Amino acid sequence: MTATAAPPRPPTSTTRPARRARAPYRWSARGFALPAVLIVALLLYLPFVWTSYLSLTEYNGLGDPELVGLAKYQEMFTDAGFLNSLRNTLFWVLGTLVLPVGLGLFIAVLAYGLKGSFWYRLPFLLPYAISGVAVGVIWTFVLQTGGALDEALALLGVTDPPRWLLDSPLNTFVMIGAATWQGAGVNALLFTIGLQSIPKEPLEAARVDGASGWTLFRTMTWPMLTPLTTVVVGLAIVGSLKQFDIIWAMTKGGPGVSSETLALTMYKDTFVENDYGLGAAVAVFLTVVTVAASVLYLRRQLAGTRES
Amino acid sequence: MSAVAADRVRKTVLVVLGLVWLAPVYLMIVNAAKTNDQYGVMSVWSPAGLGGLWENASAAWTRGDISAGIASTALYAIVAPLVAVVIGAAAGFAIVALRLKHGFVWFVVIFASTVFPMQMLLMPLFLGYVETGLYDTRTGMILVYTVISVPFAAFVMRNFFSGVAHHVFEAAVMDGASTWRIFWRIYLPMAVPALVAVFILQATLIWNDLLLGLTLTQSAETRPVMTALSALQSTYGGSTMPVVLAGGLIVSIPTVALFLFAQRAFTRGLALGQY
Repeated sequence: MTATAAPPRPPTSTTRPARRARAPYRWSARGFALPAVLIVALLLYLPFVWTSYLSLTEYNGLGDPELVGLAKYQEMFTDAGFLNSLRNTLFWVLGTLVLPVGLGLFIAVLAYGLKGSFWYRLPFLLPYAISGVAVGVIWTFVLQTGGALDEALALLGVTDPPRWLLDSPLNTFVMIGAATWQGAGVNALLFTIGLQSIPKEPLEAARVDGASGWTLFRTMTWPMLTPLTTVVVGLAIVGSLKQFDIIWAMTKGGPGVSSETLALTMYKDTFVENDYGLGAAVAVFLTVVTVAASVLYLRRQLAGTRES
Repeated sequence: MSAVAADRVRKTVLVVLGLVWLAPVYLMIVNAAKTNDQYGVMSVWSPAGLGGLWENASAAWTRGDISAGIASTALYAIVAPLVAVVIGAAAGFAIVALRLKHGFVWFVVIFASTVFPMQMLLMPLFLGYVETGLYDTRTGMILVYTVISVPFAAFVMRNFFSGVAHHVFEAAVMDGASTWRIFWRIYLPMAVPALVAVFILQATLIWNDLLLGLTLTQSAETRPVMTALSALQSTYGGSTMPVVLAGGLIVSIPTVALFLFAQRAFTRGLALGQY
């Protein structure tokens, strides 16, 4: 990102005649905003700073944290478990982009304009109301050795099915599948909202000109969906980085650490291994990645609201 | 291909894919309803009536602490979003109607906190909660759930109030109303649809939370329901698969029902939150 100089501002007195009028409410405005600001500062920003500090220390939860500089980061980047977890997290991000987002778009476009399109989309939306843990319970049942999927495959003559939840990286892939089952519908819904907001005239004009099907979608619909796609993609990436519940419910990151992602590694380092410094370093790393990904869509989200 | 034929292809693809999507739900219901004997000998794909459902559900309910979890979580999922929407609406009101100085900056400060992964907060929350005696208490859980709901509430409410003409505020001032009264009597009632949408989304989020429950509670009385379900599942030396599935079914019914009945509010909440 390149830094651009802010355009010179005209004197404020000429642009903001309302400034004087706002003075009478200065104190009540602060009063109304205070609870939100206070609560966020105390329970979100303060912990943020605290974790950043802990990532520079050796600390087991007892006694006092001892400052060790960047040693914990060094330890983290040379740890095989962490690197494996980093790889799995990358799988999650890429997989989420292809599956829940791609499938969501596919469903939205297929159902759009059909009579009763709501009912066609409903089966996909239903799992969104189910928690990550319950999704994990259901899919463990489907994928466990000798489970529902293996039984169905046996009927088709597959007698030696893969060990879905036991082999790495297959276990990560099938869990991305479970997350897709949960999340595709909501993306379809968001894309539908986007499709509904596309003006009809240009589409009609293109249709009159002979464009149809795939060409129409590629040249007209898709470009007009871009702003929304940015938000959906951004949310999906951030969601996949934060994914914890499904993995916890299905494999707890195992066998061993084979299906851990950064979100799980942080939790285990801290609350299972009692290595707070290392857990904090993983948390900081995860946050940096998440914030970088969020900037993608937050900018657009905030830009959109600033105008209104 | 004619338009009618194309529509038929689209419908067929959607129906087939939809059936695939519903299959896991079918499996959960069918097997949560099997007795142990039936589960042992039958294919998981064949239904066996509802013979074991009650037994499995009550086993999950009592043995797995799901009942205690549901009571706690119901409390968390109602109180926390209720408090959060009011706090969020107050912030939105201050920024938009009262034209808080540097309002946009404050808005970004409040909203940007949603970007942090929960992992960044767990450790200090745990240590701080142990230190202050909030660990493993319902008060502590309500507090933390309120906090995580405030930024989204503030975001939506600020956007909502931005659509309200400022003379609504000025007219009320002319009539001699205090800002407090304007907020409670005019702005808040006007925002009910948005408030409901935010409430429903946040209540669902809290109902489905695992991580905070895992980190900040330990006893059956305070532990939220998803954490209880996760424990029920991982210790199923005692609990059979049908019992675990029945547990999964029980905890999913409230959010699925809420979702089906409040579909419109749900969609509105998503639309409000993500543009």
